[in-house]
Amino acid sequence: MNAIQKLKSEVVTPAGLQPLRVLAVSGQLGYGIPDAAFIAGLSRKPHFLGADMGSIDPGPYYLGSGNLATSDAMTRDDLSKALRGARSIGVPFLLGTAGSAGAAPHLDKTLAMVRDIARAEGLHFRLASIRADMPRDLIKHAIRAGKVRPLGAIPALTEHEVDAATHLVGQMGIEAFQRALTAGADVVIAGRACDTAVFAAIPAMLGYPVGPAMHMAKISECCSLCTTPGGRDALLGTLDGDSFTIDSMNPLRHATPMSVAAHSLYEQGDPYRVIEPEGVLNTEAARYEAVDEHRCRIAGARWEPATRFTVKIEGATRVGERAVLLAGCADPKAIAAMREILPAVEKTVRELVSESVRSPFALYYRVYGIDGVFEWQGPPPAMPREVFVMVECIAASAEDAKSVATVFKQYLLHHGFPGRISTGGNLAFPFTPPEVVAGTAYRFSVYHVMEVNALEPLFPVTIEDI
Amino acid sequence: MKLLDIARVIRSKNAGPTTLTLDLMFNDAAGYQRALAAPSLEPAAIAELYGLAPRQVEVIPYPPAIAIKIVMDRKLVAGDPGDRDVYGAQQHGPLLGIEI
Repeated sequence: MNAIQKLKSEVVTPAGLQPLRVLAVSGQLGYGIPDAAFIAGLSRKPHFLGADMGSIDPGPYYLGSGNLATSDAMTRDDLSKALRGARSIGVPFLLGTAGSAGAAPHLDKTLAMVRDIARAEGLHFRLASIRADMPRDLIKHAIRAGKVRPLGAIPALTEHEVDAATHLVGQMGIEAFQRALTAGADVVIAGRACDTAVFAAIPAMLGYPVGPAMHMAKISECCSLCTTPGGRDALLGTLDGDSFTIDSMNPLRHATPMSVAAHSLYEQGDPYRVIEPEGVLNTEAARYEAVDEHRCRIAGARWEPATRFTVKIEGATRVGERAVLLAGCADPKAIAAMREILPAVEKTVRELVSESVRSPFALYYRVYGIDGVFEWQGPPPAMPREVFVMVECIAASAEDAKSVATVFKQYLLHHGFPGRISTGGNLAFPFTPPEVVAGTAYRFSVYHVMEVNALEPLFPVTIEDI
Repeated sequence: MKLLDIARVIRSKNAGPTTLTLDLMFNDAAGYQRALAAPSLEPAAIAELYGLAPRQVEVIPYPPAIAIKIVMDRKLVAGDPGDRDVYGAQQHGPLLGIEI
């Protein structure tokens, strides 16, 4: 009997579906799993463990570069904890968006860690991996057929952008996880996935109503972020058919009707509708009730199956190499004139490097204290006592970017401007060198939705016995 | 009355890299109703604060959490060269001073 068959035998009984316990162990695997709540969660005998590892929030660098956002050591620790925990109670472990962005290099690095951990810990299980890399030809074909549209404020997708992207992924839904489980998987490590799919695939497969299962998945995927005070501790969801209960495994974090309802707003453009590849989660009729001061019961979410499958596709493209200049300033006259000083220095620098830096480069300034964070429409009512200046250069090569930043440093330091009194230098450097090479810059070139006829060919499952 | 006086949460975050969402959560239903009725929280007024066209801003009441969601286009896709806030978590500043 494989893992999903075993689960089925436990919860699908002649008396009806038994309560299904789902332990969300991490909303961002690789940043540490708090021990006490995790152990408390395991003691509740969950039917499976799930974790989300990625997101598009951290920006285009991770998808573009193939690198993880989390450190190798911490990621390995978290993976080890989740794998050992799941194996110790003999239940499946599902991980979504492996390696932060879920493209091939992210998935492969995560799988290598999983195999290493299994070897070191003497764990044996059936491992399924699911790829989420979208074939370029398929996307181009969909563009020509008018089946790709932008998600929000991004231009229509072109075939040129498809070719230029370093990695292209699609978000898989529950269907891909279900195929992996049908193949007998104990552990599923998935590339780019909807965060809900990790938690809703098993309940939907066992016959629980998809609306509440999907709603529970949506709330659980961030672990105890839906509680008050919010946190990262493991969260237990218990699905009883038409409703479910949310229970933080940290006794100090309470899931209240208000805290859970409010979580539906988080990072969502539409608080009532969550669009998934296979349909839409509609929470307009959802009701949130306190079970006690610590737990909340939720009912009423509906699932609207899609008439056509859609896949969110994501891609990132290299822009250039980045260097930054980091400096402070406490001179009131320089601070007041900074908006004029920076472009004036840029003009000088562009003339000076015109022979040595032949490829185009771009400069961006942020003056923290004035407009580093938000593009304010005017200057502040009073100028701050100090500002922090960051000058960013994106050029064709790291040498070019650093060269521009280095020259900029010297001319900004000694730039003469009307009324200058601090003639020793305009800047305070916290350390030297204050110009730092900051790696490759990427941008999101693809954030679109693509209509597809079938999901299965896009997300191939590979099985290996460990 | 300032929004800051009756809201317990005023936060911003990306909802995907092309969209910014601002959540206003209130201490009580009275504050929520007052804010819902305020001209300063109409899409056109918010659009002006953020340098956008009114059609780029949507205001959505969310009674289950006595909250108001504001959704708008990002001017730059998150992480594009020149972006100031990749996660969009510090774009709530202009709302703090508004009168309702």
